Amino acid sequence: MMTDWMSLKWLLWISLYLILGVFVPWAASLAWADQHGKVLRPRPKQLFERGELGLISLVVGISVIWDLLQSQYMPQTRALGSVLLALSGTMAAAVWIESYCRDATGMPNNPERAWRDSRNLAFLVFSMAVVIEILLDRFAKVAAT
Amino acid sequence: MSAPAPALAKAPSRTTVTVRLADAAFTVACLSLVFAFLLVFFPVSFARIIQDRWLHGNLTVAIMAITLLIDAGLYVRIAYRLAAKPTVLAAVCLGSLPIVVGLGVSFCLQGAVGYTLSGDLPNLQGRVGEEILVHTYLGLVSGIFLPFLALRLLQQLKAARSNREPESPSRKAAAASSY
Repeated sequence: MMTDWMSLKWLLWISLYLILGVFVPWAASLAWADQHGKVLRPRPKQLFERGELGLISLVVGISVIWDLLQSQYMPQTRALGSVLLALSGTMAAAVWIESYCRDATGMPNNPERAWRDSRNLAFLVFSMAVVIEILLDRFAKVAAT
Repeated sequence: MSAPAPALAKAPSRTTVTVRLADAAFTVACLSLVFAFLLVFFPVSFARIIQDRWLHGNLTVAIMAITLLIDAGLYVRIAYRLAAKPTVLAAVCLGSLPIVVGLGVSFCLQGAVGYTLSGDLPNLQGRVGEEILVHTYLGLVSGIFLPFLALRLLQQLKAARSNREPESPSRKAAAASSY
């Protein structure tokens, strides 16, 4: 079993998104409640129940597409990876759009379903981002030798 | 008031399976994590196994078989959970699209390998190996995600069309006579 611990730098990279995209908004909502003297203890599920996680995952997807386009992979590979990431990121963001449209037009909206859909699609985009960053890291080492 | 006629009453029909993209997304995400784990902890042996499969010419078939199996299992699981009836549309989508996607990725990989070998680049063997590895991953992801995405979009199209369809005269007459 060979492990290059420098290859685990994607953990730091992905945790930056988790901290800035999920933890900071949650902490900011607690700080706001404290500042205004209100009782508010939202869980991440309540904070992102309209599918906002989809927007965060779209941002992650865009940054990985950018990295992929800068790489030395062949054009076919870059195109395939970018299209797949863009599709999954767009579908994740579409959960928030559907939830917003349902609320805005007075159609029945199920926050439980929007939360589940956006959470699973965000999980997909994050995991794809992790794998592609690992593969990019490997390719950069191969191309450098 | 007359009693309801049991012979004329329809038996409650099972609804058809409505696929949510989130179900497929969770499965693909788990598969991605397994792939990431193997890449990090077995970087040499895992890559060599995949490259050997490609050299023996059965990588594409393996990708098709794995994605077909996962798609079918996922769909049956959703149908069982919702206690709903599978549809022909789903069978056509999930039966054909993984094969089409597998073939497409295979063509793409052949193109990428040919492009790499034709260039004057250092470490050609290593580059080809990495191309095979990334295409294997993208083939697995697209073979599961794209059929479910197509199915979801077709279901939405079908639902939108049935919502827009004007009411038939016989249905209108039946509604009027019920008042």
